[in-house]
Amino acid sequence: MSEKRVTFTTEQIAAYAEASGDFNPIHLDDDFARSVGLPGRIAHGMLQMGIAGTVAAEAAVGGTRLRRLQCRFAGMVVPGDTVTFTAEPAGPGKLELRAVNQRGEQVLTKATAEYG
Amino acid sequence: MTEAGGFGARATAGMAGRTYPAVTFDIDPQRVAAFAEAIGADPAGGVPPTFAAVYSLGVTAPQLFGDAEAAIDFAKLLHAEQEFEWSRHPDPGEKVSSQGRIASDTSRRGMRFVTFETETKGARGDDVCRSRALFVIRS
Repeated sequence: MSEKRVTFTTEQIAAYAEASGDFNPIHLDDDFARSVGLPGRIAHGMLQMGIAGTVAAEAAVGGTRLRRLQCRFAGMVVPGDTVTFTAEPAGPGKLELRAVNQRGEQVLTKATAEYG
Repeated sequence: MTEAGGFGARATAGMAGRTYPAVTFDIDPQRVAAFAEAIGADPAGGVPPTFAAVYSLGVTAPQLFGDAEAAIDFAKLLHAEQEFEWSRHPDPGEKVSSQGRIASDTSRRGMRFVTFETETKGARGDDVCRSRALFVIRS
């Protein structure tokens, strides 16, 4: 099993915004995020998926072997949250991925990868 | 007296089938390295698979969000699900071409569900990646 534990920071979220080009203010501005009913700025779902992808790539022995990656963004991640990402074998060429926060809540569900 | 699709279900074709012009994108090695660093991958390890968030979904989703007729309320938008399927991974420095399309657009219980698919082709016109995003727009 491959595993990675990440404590999200505003700096990492800002770095992801810069590198991905996704500058949606819900990820960068607490006041704006609250104005649309969020608890404050939240991490990009795609940042969560990106980290899950690195764990899947490690389990698949190389990102170039990944053929499919999918997930449902089931829970919000805010700065300060610690999320444990895991990838476990689920049959030939298949991985089951999990992302669980410090309260034991799954932030990604239906998360799977295929490689070959 | 219930409609097909279950209690309270109401599906409309909406904007399904709308296709946007293809967008070309250079897989800039510096941008790839910055992206890799942001997700905790090795910046020298090549193009991370989920860089597809940039070269596939990222370059085409703004066409959907900027389409007045599609009328996506960005402030109420949630990215609910994402899937990437790769035929191969692009090379650093490669110029890829991505085309987005609204695959389905339905409304149910005051929520709108838009599935947006993007096909990315490589410099030689071969298949690279298919992205499928499910966006939920709250009312």
